[in-house]
Amino acid sequence: MIEVTNLTKTYDDLQRGLFVAVDNVSFRVGPGEIFGLLGANGAVKTTVLRILSTVLKPSSGRARVLGYDVVQQAEAVRSSIGFVSNNTAIYDRMTAWEMVEYFGRLNAIPSDILRPRLETLFDQLRMNDFRDCPCAKMSTGMKQKVSIGRALIHDPPVLVFDEATLGLDVLVARNLLEVIKTLRDAGKCLIFSTHIMREVERLCDSIAIMHQGRILDIGTLEELRDRHSEHDFEELFFDLLSQHDSKIDADRAGQWSQAWANNAQPTEPA
Amino acid sequence: MSTSSPWRARPSIVWLVYLREMRDQLRDRRTIFTILILPLVLYPLLGSLLLQVAQFSQGHRSSVGIIGAENLPDSPSLLNDQGQFQDELIDSKSPMQVVLHPTMPTIDIEKSSVEASRWVQEGMFDCVLIVPKGFVAEKPDSMQLLYNFTSDPSRAANDRLLQVLVRWRDAWVQQNLAIAGVDQQILKPFQVTSVDIAPSGNRDNAFWSKMLPFVMLVWAMTGAFYPAIDLVAGEKERGTLETLLCSPALRSEIVMGKLAAVTTFSMATAILNVVSMLFTGMFVAKQVFPGGLAGGAMGTPPLAPMLWLLVALLPLSMLFSSLALAVAALARSSKEGQYYLMPLMMMALPLVMLPMLPGIGLNAGTSMIPVTGMFLMARSLMDGQYAFALAHLPIVASITMICLWLATRWAGRQFEDESVLFRSGEQWSVSAWMKHLWRDRQGDPTVGTAFGCAAAILIGLFFAKLAVTSVPADFPGIAKLILVPQIGIVLAPTLLMACMLTRSLSQSLQVRRPPLLSIPVAILLGISLHPAYMALGQLIQYVYPLSDQAVAALSPFEATINNTPIWHVILVLALVPAICEELAFRGFIFAGLLHNNGRLRAVVVTAVLFGLSHGILQQSLAAMVMGLLLGWVTLRTGSIFPSLIIHLLNNSLGVSLGRIAQYDGEWVQYVIDNSDGSPHYRVAWILMAACVSVTCLIYFSVLQPQALSQRKASRRETTKNAAPLSMSTHI
Repeated sequence: MIEVTNLTKTYDDLQRGLFVAVDNVSFRVGPGEIFGLLGANGAVKTTVLRILSTVLKPSSGRARVLGYDVVQQAEAVRSSIGFVSNNTAIYDRMTAWEMVEYFGRLNAIPSDILRPRLETLFDQLRMNDFRDCPCAKMSTGMKQKVSIGRALIHDPPVLVFDEATLGLDVLVARNLLEVIKTLRDAGKCLIFSTHIMREVERLCDSIAIMHQGRILDIGTLEELRDRHSEHDFEELFFDLLSQHDSKIDADRAGQWSQAWANNAQPTEPA
Repeated sequence: MSTSSPWRARPSIVWLVYLREMRDQLRDRRTIFTILILPLVLYPLLGSLLLQVAQFSQGHRSSVGIIGAENLPDSPSLLNDQGQFQDELIDSKSPMQVVLHPTMPTIDIEKSSVEASRWVQEGMFDCVLIVPKGFVAEKPDSMQLLYNFTSDPSRAANDRLLQVLVRWRDAWVQQNLAIAGVDQQILKPFQVTSVDIAPSGNRDNAFWSKMLPFVMLVWAMTGAFYPAIDLVAGEKERGTLETLLCSPALRSEIVMGKLAAVTTFSMATAILNVVSMLFTGMFVAKQVFPGGLAGGAMGTPPLAPMLWLLVALLPLSMLFSSLALAVAALARSSKEGQYYLMPLMMMALPLVMLPMLPGIGLNAGTSMIPVTGMFLMARSLMDGQYAFALAHLPIVASITMICLWLATRWAGRQFEDESVLFRSGEQWSVSAWMKHLWRDRQGDPTVGTAFGCAAAILIGLFFAKLAVTSVPADFPGIAKLILVPQIGIVLAPTLLMACMLTRSLSQSLQVRRPPLLSIPVAILLGISLHPAYMALGQLIQYVYPLSDQAVAALSPFEATINNTPIWHVILVLALVPAICEELAFRGFIFAGLLHNNGRLRAVVVTAVLFGLSHGILQQSLAAMVMGLLLGWVTLRTGSIFPSLIIHLLNNSLGVSLGRIAQYDGEWVQYVIDNSDGSPHYRVAWILMAACVSVTCLIYFSVLQPQALSQRKASRRETTKNAAPLSMSTHI
């Protein structure tokens, strides 16, 4: 359902100049599967997911959702995907009902189908208590429910949850994880990005560990444990990161010595 | 599903986005206050304040002190028995209380003045009249009236007292003439009667047709700005823009929906303000000026002609809204949006104020000025000059539509550009920026450095123009006048920036080998285009005639040029400007503006900047048109050489046409008409040459845009060399 091949994204900013944010990332996710993107803050998980949701364009590489290319067929991709993120807020001056209904209409759902679907969704997500409440007056948990409702209203086959549990209390976060499991059981293809290892362990069928724009390793939880001979997932994660950082340090030292040698060459006697 | 066209839009989705934005804005108290409450409250409040001030100033009794009243003549008498001004001398609406000070010694007028000044200063009197001893016998102008300019009551008292004294003096003159037995008619040998032939409806319109479009457009701008900030910068700040971008709505549909909402608010604000001002103005005018103001010009405004304002309002509101939307997209927050939109308002304001200037009316010249032309056309319609307005409609409508198209396209592009929509909030500092400019310089300039170069050139040329006080009479002087700005102000910053801020001089200046055939075609185009360019120049001068002063200043210049060897003239006036200007405008600036697929931006903005770099308005307009063509040729060929050749040939023919006309060859008379001493191409030749030019342009149009493909190749190379995230923070 999702196929990402050699995805690369470069940025140009004041501090770092032109740099590669997403570096040659590849993965595949099938139907009825939860794919976990695990990484510390700054691992550039959100950028990968923004490319998948067509909000950003890749610099090179390819990403396909349900066979649709995220650049060439962006409109079709957006119709097939539900994207929930910390960055995707809801309109303060709309009620929960208006918000979800608006996105239903943007997805061109006919009125006779939209109304019963709204009723069902509000029942399933238990949002009827605050359906006419302006979003500005809602708690974080309520807002997150509205956001999920907005992402589910067009019944997309692919769902992306980017740090969706961030800032939620334990109860609401647990409910959200239950919703995600239910969606998996319904055959949806899900990507779940987080920096919380326990959530990945409990929820994801396959996991990619990201660090500084690269996927360090990818596989099922068992595969990762076997490959690195480490049962404790937290230790496994830290080991991978330290190995990567040591390699970077070694590369950097190599570059410095090469640069020094190049500079020193002209002064050497012939 | 295939790739969607950037301007494809489904009306149902545009309508949906529009309705949501409208509902969202109508639920915002700030918007409601600015758009609805403010106009409905502001004008009645201002009107009642004005009424009160008027009533106060009319009813306020000025206190006047008179020193030396005993020195006043008995006949004609200024004061009555009660020591107040004679009734026939004062206006019943301007009452005055007179206090006499006979005790004050008025022999020494200086001492009296000092004391009286203190009284006025301390507010004891609004003004003081000093009548010195021997007033009648001595010069009659020796009377002194002391008042305080900084005090409104004192100024009003001064005006009132002056009126009284003028009437008193007239009475005195009449008395003197009667005593001398002279007929009073001698002072007025004839009478003048002014007859206003304007229809009464137009007379009533005169004030309102000037004032209301101005008020309407200022409020149309204000009304567009706040919703634009909230709908773009505000949404970015609140995080809802990304939510919307994730939906299947196309960017074009989002832009159109938002644009329609901002335009609605802009129009609503303008209409409500005009209506509120109109009704308040009518009421206040009737109360304060019952007989009419300014000869009845501020009468009751006829409402039907005011509807013509709506004709101008819709396109101009859309224009302001598109610009506001595009600029607001640059901001990361509402606060930042306000900073960005203020300069936009400052830039648009002169276009709105220009029609308010005395003597500015609708003509071929003003109809080509964006906003101003539409404003003046609406005014003509309001004045009932329908045929006159209709004659200018094609130009006004075309200019407005072009501006509107460019503005909406810019707004659309902003929503396509992820670097605009997802600008990071990184801290800006001069040192980091300087480091960035040097460390991350690429083969070609950026948009910022292109604008920086253009700003350096335009500011430099502006100050250079200020430094020139007279046109030199000899050729070395003229050469210095041309070469110093061209090399020092146009070429030097371009080369400096190309060397310092880019990695490749040839790439940043677009010095590349063009398609081989483009060189002879450019030569042909350069020669064949000149007749049309001359005709354009003549047309521009017909529409915007050169002032007599400018003609007088240029005539010695032309005489000197004609007496100088042709190769010297071509070198100084054609070759050097062509090289310098092409390297700057079609080279560095064009290459910078091509970033992010900005083909239209590169062609249009470079042409406008190129036009602005020419000092005289008439020259600037022609240069702008030429700039469009040169930019397009550069885009097609990817090199400045073809445009340089066209520029060089155009300049060369311009400076040598007079000499060609004097050439003793039979063919000359078929090409150039020099019968009146000012050489110009014959119409038949212009048409033939234009056909050749069109053929050349067809050749360029079938070329693939080379500039962009070369840019893309260079960007791919740069991307390959980008540092990985793990290394970028350290190395």
